[in-house]
Amino acid sequence: MSTTKNTVFINNEEHAFEQGEMILRLLRRVLGDDPVPTLCDAPNLEPFGSCRVCSVEVALKQDGPKKVQASCHTPVMANSYIYTHSEKINRIRKNIVELVLTDYPKEKFEEANPSQNELKKVAAQVGINMSDVRYQPGKKNLNRTPDENHAYMRASMDTCINCYRCIRACDEVQGEMVLTMEGRGFDNKVVMGMNEGFKESDCVSCGACSQACPTGAITDIYASKFNDATKTERTVCTYCGVGCNLDVATKDGDIISITAPYDSEVNQGHTCLKGRYAFQFYNHPDRLKTPMIRRDGTLQPATWDEAYDYMTEKFTQIREANGPDAIAGISSARCPNEENYLMQKFIRAVIGTNNIDCCARVCHSPTALGLQRAFGTGAATNSVKDIQYTDCMMVIGANPTDAHPVTGAKMKQAAMKGTKLIVIDPREIALARYADYHLQLRPGTNVALLNMMMYYIISEGLVDKDFVDNRTEGYEDFVSNITNLDLDKMEEVTGVDRNLVREAAICYATAPNAMSFHGLGVTEHSQGTFTVMQIADLAMLTGNIGRRGVGVNPLRGQNNVQGAADMGAQPHQGAGYMDVTNPTFHKQYETFYGVDLPEHIGYKIPEMFDAAIAGDLKALWIIGEDVVQTDPNTDKVKRALTSLDMLIVQELFMTETALLADVILPGASFLEKSGTFTNGERRVQRVNKVLEPIEGTKADGQIIVDMMNRMGYKQADYAPDTMLEEISQIVPFFKGITWEGLGKNGKQWPVPEDGSSTEIMHVDQFKRGKGKISYFDWKESKEIEDNGSEYPYIITTNRELEHYNCGAMTRRTNNVQILTEDVLLINPKDAKDIKVKDGEMVCVTSARGKVDIKAKVSNEVKPGVMSTTFHFPEIMVNLITSDVHDSEAKCPEYKVVAAKVRKSKGKYAEKSEEQLAKA
Amino acid sequence: MSENLSALSGRKGLEKNLFEQLVEKSKVEGTPDNEDLKSLAHEYLMGEAITYGTASFYDFLKKDHRHVKAHVCNGSACLVAGTQENVKTKLLEHYRDEEIGHMCCLGRCHENSAFNINGNNYSGNAIEQLDKITSSHIASLTDNYKVSSNVENPILTGERLTAAGFASLFQKVLTNGADWALEQIKDSNIRGRGGAGFPMGIKLESCKNVSGDQKFIVCNADEGDPGAYSDRYLLEAQPMLVLFGMMVSGYIVGADKGALYIRGEYPESVRAVTKAVEELSEHGMQGKKIGGSDFNFDFKVIEGAGAYICGEETALLSSLEGQRPEVRVRPPYPTQRGLFNRPTVVNNVETQAAIAWIVKNGGKKYARFGTSKSSGTKLVCLDSFFMNPGIYEIEMGTPFKEVVHDFGGGFKENVKAVHVGGPLGGIVPTHKIEILSLDFESFANEGFLLGHAGVVSIPEKFPMIRYLEHLFEFTGAESCGKCFPCSIGSVRGKEMFEKARNGETRIDRQLLDDLLEAMEDGSLCALGGGLPLGVKNALQYFDDELRTYFK
Repeated sequence: MSTTKNTVFINNEEHAFEQGEMILRLLRRVLGDDPVPTLCDAPNLEPFGSCRVCSVEVALKQDGPKKVQASCHTPVMANSYIYTHSEKINRIRKNIVELVLTDYPKEKFEEANPSQNELKKVAAQVGINMSDVRYQPGKKNLNRTPDENHAYMRASMDTCINCYRCIRACDEVQGEMVLTMEGRGFDNKVVMGMNEGFKESDCVSCGACSQACPTGAITDIYASKFNDATKTERTVCTYCGVGCNLDVATKDGDIISITAPYDSEVNQGHTCLKGRYAFQFYNHPDRLKTPMIRRDGTLQPATWDEAYDYMTEKFTQIREANGPDAIAGISSARCPNEENYLMQKFIRAVIGTNNIDCCARVCHSPTALGLQRAFGTGAATNSVKDIQYTDCMMVIGANPTDAHPVTGAKMKQAAMKGTKLIVIDPREIALARYADYHLQLRPGTNVALLNMMMYYIISEGLVDKDFVDNRTEGYEDFVSNITNLDLDKMEEVTGVDRNLVREAAICYATAPNAMSFHGLGVTEHSQGTFTVMQIADLAMLTGNIGRRGVGVNPLRGQNNVQGAADMGAQPHQGAGYMDVTNPTFHKQYETFYGVDLPEHIGYKIPEMFDAAIAGDLKALWIIGEDVVQTDPNTDKVKRALTSLDMLIVQELFMTETALLADVILPGASFLEKSGTFTNGERRVQRVNKVLEPIEGTKADGQIIVDMMNRMGYKQADYAPDTMLEEISQIVPFFKGITWEGLGKNGKQWPVPEDGSSTEIMHVDQFKRGKGKISYFDWKESKEIEDNGSEYPYIITTNRELEHYNCGAMTRRTNNVQILTEDVLLINPKDAKDIKVKDGEMVCVTSARGKVDIKAKVSNEVKPGVMSTTFHFPEIMVNLITSDVHDSEAKCPEYKVVAAKVRKSKGKYAEKSEEQLAKA
Repeated sequence: MSENLSALSGRKGLEKNLFEQLVEKSKVEGTPDNEDLKSLAHEYLMGEAITYGTASFYDFLKKDHRHVKAHVCNGSACLVAGTQENVKTKLLEHYRDEEIGHMCCLGRCHENSAFNINGNNYSGNAIEQLDKITSSHIASLTDNYKVSSNVENPILTGERLTAAGFASLFQKVLTNGADWALEQIKDSNIRGRGGAGFPMGIKLESCKNVSGDQKFIVCNADEGDPGAYSDRYLLEAQPMLVLFGMMVSGYIVGADKGALYIRGEYPESVRAVTKAVEELSEHGMQGKKIGGSDFNFDFKVIEGAGAYICGEETALLSSLEGQRPEVRVRPPYPTQRGLFNRPTVVNNVETQAAIAWIVKNGGKKYARFGTSKSSGTKLVCLDSFFMNPGIYEIEMGTPFKEVVHDFGGGFKENVKAVHVGGPLGGIVPTHKIEILSLDFESFANEGFLLGHAGVVSIPEKFPMIRYLEHLFEFTGAESCGKCFPCSIGSVRGKEMFEKARNGETRIDRQLLDDLLEAMEDGSLCALGGGLPLGVKNALQYFDDELRTYFK
């Protein structure tokens, strides 16, 4: 037998091992999934060594003395002999499991299913049953009160075997540290928080503990790992742009639970409470189940044919009378690529206008535009995985632990372990606690702050000259501008100490690899596109582009907002980002669609509203977007929608927007159709149909196809594979994508013909050739200039973990038990000034309107700045937000609202008193 | 063992230490209140569960410790001496039952009747003067034991090293350099005195070779084996020796911080070392630019809070970080990723204390003491059953009977066995004393363990079944609870022996053997893994006495 440094013998058979590999990993690799029993090991947790059941015997030479070693945490020694099932090992395992059974409830053990309960499985593997236990009855830890108060989490700790998996999952995966052992030795018991219940603790309901638990001591209301599902289908989450893979378990056509697959490259067995638990909306009684047409002022049920006929007739009429530009469509970033592609195709090729847009307009349109201008491609340059390779993370205008929880958890994990973290945000977001630098700027001053950072990068001599010389243009102009920066003024307007900015700039610039992440706190400003370009500038000045652990990485909001834009759901570029006014591309599209296409750019969403009010836009088809609740300046949005001749709303629920519709089309949820979503790191993943669309509803793609055919354009029935085939022929970066080829984990575009995936972009050169470095002066927001003196406070809007956007879905799940309403965060000083106590109602007025909302006194915001959400229609926070837009991409400035705030009067004051009394 | 918690705790480091804060917060009420735990958790960026879970682990921090004012020593030596009951009875005259807790070995094994009041330890006849103690808060009464050695120029028990002596000896190290110092230690062949016997030179070298801008030296002064009070002697009588060893270690590996984790059961040791550190500061031998060189070194004294497992080096590191002191898996070894995830050398008090002699006289000279595999001398602690209880510095390889007879002066009464090396050591029947020599190999070859070389005598009259029950009980009480064989096995073992002693159920020998095997081979650390040795010794040598308890 050969003896090399990588040789090991398993049960006397020679194998090769990898340096540093643990024995258990080797055994799994060589012998298959379950080579030795284990109770404490879990796929996404560090080796822990508590159960000792995975022990094996190891001899350093053939027939040498053997030692019992736990395989999970013992590295393989070269030329050693590993025995997995020796007589001694079999005996020790059995005797350890016997000990475990002495403190396990007998009845529950007998009832347990070995394919679900890992203790029962392991007991069978080692050959012991409850009746075989030889110990006399003794001390037990079985007397634990079940915890049944939480919206989702459940605990009945009598079946806890103290394997620590839950505690480790809460720490190593989610990073929340809600669970601990209390006591010592045999008396150890897992407790939540300070021995409270899940509900009272700081639990974020991610369910990582429940997924980790081997016996179901910690589980959830769905008993996710312990129910009698008959089928499991893997799909992609419909909530945020992280793109978590989900295993959806069904029985008799109902979804009974969701878990996270460990082999998912995106989420590695983790997900958040929205992905894991908030699926109850899908068959909620409120689901729209029939088309409706407004007749005599009220929405009345109709057949699909009636609805289609009505729409066809109206579209035709309007097009004839007012031209195709009187019709517009808003596609849905919640829908798959294929449906977005179809919608823009319908508007362009069937109606004959470029009036197509999607919610990217109100979130990341400045990112797409800004990065296109700077790099040539409007998408993340790197992958989330790069967090593990970077030395410095700069998070600007994003709150990932709430809005992108799985990515947020990864950032938190890295930050806790020492990766440098710079947070630029007006609020003290959760990540700010772990940050090396928190630059808590006044909303609306991103450009000023980033200019300060770049000023210092230049003045400290930290520019990567090689990168700038070889790969960029515009540097000289940039330097001549930035060196004249008025630091005194910038410091004053941002409210951030210049030394802190300087230190943060040095931190970013000197890190071997620095990456940035940004969210809507960057884009939803009047200078949003410029800010994106500044973030690109920062990366280029410091050479942080084109390798692992660097880049500019927008955290895309909706599950498929990247895809909706990729597919051409925007008025200036068609599928694949080709300019509709460019004759070559225009011709290409005309040939491909086989029709004449318009050559001028269409309306962006805000322009659609203006056009509707002006009487130029007559019909609007909105899919899966509640513009009334979520777009700024609600009154104006309502005025626009009610000015239309025909508003079509394709939805799951009767949203605030749907209430105004002339035609309602009941669409299908992500669980009821197939297609692909593209996440924030450009990863195109398969969405697999779990259930048939519930009765009365249709896959949204099929609805569009039906209408295309009605309107005389021949389009085959909706199917994801054939749709993808069509898309791959027109979208250049989808060239190598096929439905089958996407596999389990999808592919990151650009995917060339050979089908390879792209984790990092702009490695050797930018899409546009040289990267463009640009300088921008900071400009005070028009909102502040016009209204700032009359309305002294600045309100900024944000999201909470538990709810998604307008809340149409999450409010129809138990998530409402966890977060029940929108509140306004007020700094204690401001609260004192306006004489408001925590929990009282305040009246907030802006130049647009007023709302009454409950105050939450908090240090999360600085004096002068307040923050709130718009998840609940009861409040309608967007009554006060402004429709001032980003100068370039027309993204609304949700983040800066000048407001007056006082204690509520009248009925709201009474409500306030009631609530205080209750508290 | 959480990498996250290590890192978060490391943000504040040793200077403002989380564990120290927890201990501090417990001083008034006997346990930190929940508000303190919450605010510490927030301050250190951890979940509230973390500080709560940590506090619940320790005898002197947990909720049950609220209002406890007096502690009775429940260590093995006081148990076999039979003094605990009297101490408790006397204390009850001054305190309510719930105000009396216990401490596991105050290191007063030489005279027993040990107890602790208001942070002071007492033993011997002090319990008879309780009125005086409670009224006037006398710091200490008697604590007399013999100290001597069978080597001429003792390594550990010689003349007390002063701060000035420390400074001049360290100057020699600075002059000769770190490589020279490491060479001396390697030449000395000194092995760790904590029990595992790992060569110190190799440990230092491996830490030196790990790159890292921050490294730590940790002195494990929490080895609380009942019966072993040699560390206490060194900390109180020879603190400079211990500090010197740490500083040399730091100089060798490139560490500028040293932590001494001292048992909370040794309040005098904490005070003595704290005072010694202050003296060093006065002599410019602590802080920046030690002895005018570029070498910086700070000492930090941390007081434990009542958990035997913290003597296990990885549990100790977790404790220092404010985590629950649960034993970690290795790798990573502390020299690779130790305190606050940084390279760390952990050494026992006695090992550190030998370094001064080694650099003064040369490593090769040290190696001349003892045997080829066990070089140097070993401190042996003899308990109150000996005519001459005390600390004896014995050259390795010395016949054990010389220690027992020549130094100990023999036994005061009939003793059937000596338990050497703490609760996890071997139970040596008296007839085996004759054939053992004092070194790692001789004890191992005979199926015993030298360990820490504390000697607890088991008198003829003390039932072996009760002693074995005590060992299981001790392990059960001190188990961190992480690994299944130890946490569950120790309790089942205790129940087995208790039921046998009560006459309820005789012991199934096969079941006991299975239990001992599962614990010995299956446990994560030496606590569960070490307990079976003594039990097996007793089963072998005291079969006659124990037979009636078996089926």
